Order: sequence, then structure tokens, then C-alpha cells
Amino acid sequence: MPIEVNGLFHSYKKGTPFEKEVLFDINLTIDDGEFIGIIGPTQSGKTTLAQHFNALFIPRQGRVIVNGANTADKTADLVTLRHNVGYVFQNPDYQLFAPTVGEDIAFGPRNQGLAGEEIEHRVREAMEQVGLDYGTFLGRDIYALSGGQKRRAAIAGVLACHPRILILDDITAGLDPRGRDEILGVIRKLHREQNITIIYISNSMDEVAELAERIVVLDRGRIAFDGTTREIFSHAEQLYAIGLELPEVMVIADRFRELGYSLPPAILSLEEAVDAISTALHEGRVAD
Amino acid sequence: MELTKNITLGIYLPGETFVHRLDPRTKIIASVILIVLLLFIRSYEAYGIFLIFTAAVIFISGIPPGFALCGLKPMLPVLVLMWIFQLFLYRTPGSDVIFSWWIFSATDTGLHMGNLITLRVLFLFTVTTILTLTTSMVSLTDGLENLLKPLRKIGLPSQELVMTMVIALRFVLILAEELDKIVKAQMARGVAFDRGNFLQKTKKIFPVFLPLFINAFKRAEELIIAMESRSYTGGKGRTKMKTLHLGRVDLAAGLLIFLFSALIVFIIVSIQPQI
Amino acid sequence: MILNPFIETTDLSFSYRTGSSNAVRALKKVNMQVKLGELLAITGQNGSGKSTLARHFNGLLTAREGKVLVDGLSAADKENTAAIRRLVGMVFQNPDNQLVSSIVEEDIAFGPENLGLPPAEIRERVDWALDTLNISNLRRESPNQLSEGQKQLVAIAGVLAMKPRCIVLDEPTAHLDPRGRREVIENVLCLNRIEGITIVLLTHFMSEVVNCDRMIVMDKGEVKMEGAPCDVFRQGEKILNLGLDFPVAARLSAGLRRKGFPLPDHIIHIEELIDSLCQLK
Repeated sequence: MPIEVNGLFHSYKKGTPFEKEVLFDINLTIDDGEFIGIIGPTQSGKTTLAQHFNALFIPRQGRVIVNGANTADKTADLVTLRHNVGYVFQNPDYQLFAPTVGEDIAFGPRNQGLAGEEIEHRVREAMEQVGLDYGTFLGRDIYALSGGQKRRAAIAGVLACHPRILILDDITAGLDPRGRDEILGVIRKLHREQNITIIYISNSMDEVAELAERIVVLDRGRIAFDGTTREIFSHAEQLYAIGLELPEVMVIADRFRELGYSLPPAILSLEEAVDAISTALHEGRVAD
Repeated sequence: MELTKNITLGIYLPGETFVHRLDPRTKIIASVILIVLLLFIRSYEAYGIFLIFTAAVIFISGIPPGFALCGLKPMLPVLVLMWIFQLFLYRTPGSDVIFSWWIFSATDTGLHMGNLITLRVLFLFTVTTILTLTTSMVSLTDGLENLLKPLRKIGLPSQELVMTMVIALRFVLILAEELDKIVKAQMARGVAFDRGNFLQKTKKIFPVFLPLFINAFKRAEELIIAMESRSYTGGKGRTKMKTLHLGRVDLAAGLLIFLFSALIVFIIVSIQPQI
Repeated sequence: MILNPFIETTDLSFSYRTGSSNAVRALKKVNMQVKLGELLAITGQNGSGKSTLARHFNGLLTAREGKVLVDGLSAADKENTAAIRRLVGMVFQNPDNQLVSSIVEEDIAFGPENLGLPPAEIRERVDWALDTLNISNLRRESPNQLSEGQKQLVAIAGVLAMKPRCIVLDEPTAHLDPRGRREVIENVLCLNRIEGITIVLLTHFMSEVVNCDRMIVMDKGEVKMEGAPCDVFRQGEKILNLGLDFPVAARLSAGLRRKGFPLPDHIIHIEELIDSLCQLK
């Protein structure tokens, strides 16, 4: 289920004194099974762009084609499209609206026209995928969940619709380290085992470096960079200029390089950094 | 989907025009005078003059006319409903039936009343919108508090009332933002807000209200906690960074309002039909 | 130099929804201090009681069991609430929910106005706060038009203008982008180091904790660990069991130690790691 964006423009509050161009000539193709990170400063258009992927925004200028169907087409089946392209919002409070976990997760499948055992099956399956125990959490009050559990319930609610593409909009903001690691584990597993396309919007460079295979960098509504994670993080200076940063391991690697050691470019994970630095220490400084 | 786009009430549009520079008290009193006048106007001639006046104010204050009008959009269904009610239900002895349908019949006085009330609401809304678009929250608060000060003597907590009102106004936009997010979250999970007939659409709206109010209350509570922790304890003992003073512009504005009111009063008294 | 305790809690306990069947015990006999002039980090999982504790520091919550003293004043005494709020300012996670006005400088004036200061002094303090945080250029803007990071700086300026001795920041960077996060943290460090304001920083980011003089780890309403960050992070597993993580420099040096490099176990800063690597050979 590929997504294709051609010449997409978008203005916020069009026709008012607060009118602002949010997206400017976006061209982008996302293929099946990709894990793609979208990064950029606040108000660079990340969320607006992603909400075009599941037709929460319909282009007025430019085209968004999901699985061959133009979202602006009057006959397009947007409800099915939104089930295929799941969207998890930053704040789970907006997304969870049934009183209990089970009922909330069943909400999507019910809208799909499913009933009875099929719904129960979907709920159980989705809860297993995000690691919420069926027996313990099915009847649990939404408001009695912790921050991390709420986010997992929100993801389960989307997974129950069997999406082929999952958009995650800054879902780890405000989570403690353990909650964050648990969520990241769930996402990694979904991508690996079910080959779901993941579109991961985040303010954390560390997370994006760790997870994404490809990164799109937005800057004031334009695509500044689009490439593999390694490529993107080799543009350190441009990223700083946009208001972004390097993942912390890369900052350390850079400082180590300044000492005169030779390291491979764009080290993305801690394991890579440990291996590279120990190899470099064994080899000793590069004579200049 | 962009619900916040049509919200104009409670939004401040920064500027340096004649209208912006007026003392907030001048603007508040002028608005009150205009609103009182509106309650008495019953002729299309007076509304015509009123229209010219408000259009001129909008022009001078640099508010894009389209923007001033777009705030009316969300109110349209209510206005239409009101107009229909008046059309069919209001009648005086001796009024002529224009047309009838089933058990309802519309009269000419009903039509006239419907028109007048609709115009009145439209203008009421426009006057308050101009006031809030050209006056920042804080100067609006200052002005109101200052004007209501005498009422403290009879035990009315004027400053607290004003603060409550100002925050309520701020929440118009917050509620719209919240609604926008929740509707989107529901659409993302398969609720087709954009499909079905009126009844089906209304039914779909209901599940939105619970999270809307929970989130709005949460935000209100956070705002109150933040205000409290910045030593806000109501109006007592508060001072102001900017002291209010009336200037030459206020004199000019006062004069204009006086002349305008005189004209409207003249029309009301001499030309307007007495119903 | 770090001097006397500025805020001190003694056996402080607190429950939400007391009396009802689902009462939640958010704090259990907490004994802790905030010392004058220090930069203290309080960390712990979501729901560990950090915010509840911090809300006792300026009288937003009143101690029912146990004692809270702020600069020697008992927080239980309602008479002291006004004085305590002048001494301790609070900044919250979401700037949208703490800004009152539609113009930046008017918002910053809100606090001093509540203190009943003369107009000239309010103006002076607003200018000083804007200047200290380097946001004078934003004074006439509407907060709606600012980035999240700028809004948070405005919120901090609003508290700063009240000239508190101590500022408590409750996860101020949780929703900011990288630049916003850096600007807020740099400014908070400056307020502590240059203006001498005591800072209590509640955070989930270990990269922010390492910049602090001291840290407290909370779990299930109790203080579980306390001390200089380099000492706390040295205690291994315990940190992970409390749902936290190690700073990247510490994890990296642990990885290198496992590879046989003799690095000390107190490294938490990037600089320390680089220095130690330099000394290896």
C-alpha cells in the first residue's frame, strides 16, 4: 500500500489574517514496509503532512495517492482508507473515548462493520501485540491507566483495524524511560514481524536514529532532506541550522574523532559506538 | 478539517490603527451604546445606517472584512432556525398570511420580526467581534475592571467577574481546538463525520462531547493552577503595568459615537413604525 | 557554595481522593531538602509522585500529614501561602495552559501585577526578565504565533519577573523540539549559575539530569535514591529497576569497560568520557 505525494501545498487558516503556508511543494513516495522517520522543528509541518496520508486533510493543491486512490477523489472510500492507514495521536486522551480498554479497542473494528467473535478476536490480538494482558486490562477503566499503558491502548485501538500503514505522531513525548522503551519495543516488533509500514514523527533524534531506515527532514513546510538515516545524520551542520540536533551517540563520536581517531561516519546506535570506539582505540590514533 | 478557522470571537488581531489605539474603556462604552441602540432599532433604514457605520469601523481598524464575517459562519444554522421560528410563530392581530404549509402559516409581521431579530443578532455579534479583535485580553480586562469599579461598593466582585469572563472568552478558541483534535481522532478511527443525513451526523457528534469536556476541564484546571502559582488571588491588591488614560483619539471617537447615536435615535423616534 | 536547606519536607505524605475507596497514596513519608542556590533534579517514572511533591513547594497543595518548610515558613499555615508563592515560582509542562494574556509582555506582567507593585517597577521587572532570557524581541508578539520553545521561555520569564528565590520546573521540555529543549535548559542553567536562583527541575531526560548538582529519584511516592548524579548513576541495576535509564556517556563507558578498557565508573558527562578516553594511552 504505497503513498505518493505530488506537488502538495497546504495553507493554515486560509483567507484569514493568520493565514500561514504550512506545506510547500511536497513530493514524496513511501513504499510498502518502510520505516520512515519524519523530523523537523515545531511548526515545520510534520503533523499536517502526515494527516494528509490518511485523508484527515484533503489536498486543495497537489495530489496524495494512497494505494492508487486519490484522496481528493469524491468517490474515494475514505473510511476504509483510514482503517488501512492507522494514525496514533500524540496525546492519547484525544483518542481514547470509550470507558474501558476493551470497548475502546473494539471501536474501530465495529466501525468497520465487524461483529461478535470477530471483534473479540481483533481486540485480543491487538492487546497481545502491544503487550497489554487481555485478562487484566480488558475491563480496565481508561482513566486508571498509566501514561505508557494509555499509549499502548491507543496503539491497540488502531491495530485492531488491521492497518497496513501506521502513523505514530510523537507518541513518546512525556513518557519515562521505561515506558518509552516498552513502546519502542512494540513498534519495532510490529514492523519486523508484520511488515507494517511505519511513519514515525518524533522530536527525539535518538529514537529516530535507532528505529528509522529512512528520514524525511521538514523545514518550514519544505522537504530539506530525504534519505537513509545514515545519510541524513551526516549533514550535522545543516541539521543544526534547521534547529535539529544529532543523536547523543553521534555527538560523542564526533568529539572522539576530534581527538584524532578514525571512526566510520554516522554512528547510529550505542552498540555501534562501543564497537567503533574500541576498534579505534586498539588501532590507535591516526597519524596526521 | 479545520474548525478553528472560523473562530473570531476572543481573538486579538494586533495593529496600530485608530481603533486599536483607543482606550479600552472608550471601546467598551461605545460597544455598549451600540448594543443598546440595536435593541431599539426596528427599521431597515436604521439598520442600513448601522451597516455603513460598522463597515467603516471595520475598514479603519484594518480587519479584513472576510475575516470579520467568517466568524458568523458557525452561527448560521441557529440564525436560520431563529428566523423560521419568528416567521411562523410571531403574529399580531391584523397581520396578513403570506403562505401556509400544513398546520403552519407565515405572516408578514412574522417575516418582518424574523428579519429584524436576525439582523440584531448579526450586528450584536459583529460589534463584539470588532471589540475583541482590536483589544488585547489584558486591556479588555483593565477597561472592564475600571468601569465596574463603582460596583465593588455594593459588594459585586467586579474584578473576579471580569477575569472569569475574559478566561471564558479565551476558552472559545481552546474548545474549538480541542474539538478539532477529537473529531480528527474519531475520523481516523472510522467515524464518517462527513457522511450521512443530518440525524446521523448529529448522532455521531455525541461521543465527542465527553472527551471534549474532560480535556477542556483539565486545561482549565491547569490554567487556574498556573495563575494561582503566579500569586493570583482575585482582584484584591492587584496593580497594573499600564495605566489607562484617555487621549485626544478617545475624544474624537466619543464625538463620533455621539453623532451616530443621535442620528439613530432620531430615526427610532421619528421614522420608525411603532409595533 | 551550597548552603542551608531552603525547602525542607519532614515525613510528608499525601493522598488523592482521601476517604473514597480508590484513594491513591501519592507521597509516603517523604524527607527531602532543596538547598539554597542548588540545581536539583527530581526524576522517576510517570506517577511516581514528582509533581505531587513539587506542588507542595509553593503551596498549591497543602501538607495534611507531615511538614513542609519553605525558607523557615510552615506551608501548612494559610497565612504563609502568599509569602511562599513569592519565594517559589512554578513552570509547567504545557505553556499553552499557563499563559494568560494575548501579548507577551502583558503576560509577563501578570505575576508582578498580582504582587501589587507600582507600575514603574512592573515595567522594569518585565524588561529585566525579557532581557535575561534574551527574548526582548518577542515582547509585542502574541503567544499564539510563537514556537513551543519560545512560549515556554515566556512562561519562565513570567515567573522570573516575580523575582522568586527558587523556580520549580515540571517537565518543561517534554513537548519541545530539540532547539526548544536546548534553549530552555541553557536558560535554566544560566538562571542558576548567573542569577543564583535555586532550581528544581522535574524531568525524564537523563541528559538534563547530568547537568544538575544533585538528584532525587522517586518511586511510588517515596524517595528511593539521592545524591550527586555521578554517585547515583554508579549504583547500576537499581536505576533500571526504578524505570529510569543511564545517561548515554555512562552507557557508552560501561560498554567500553566490558570490552576491557579501564574507564572509571562515575562517568556521566560527554566531557568526562572524552577526557578519560584521552588518558587511556
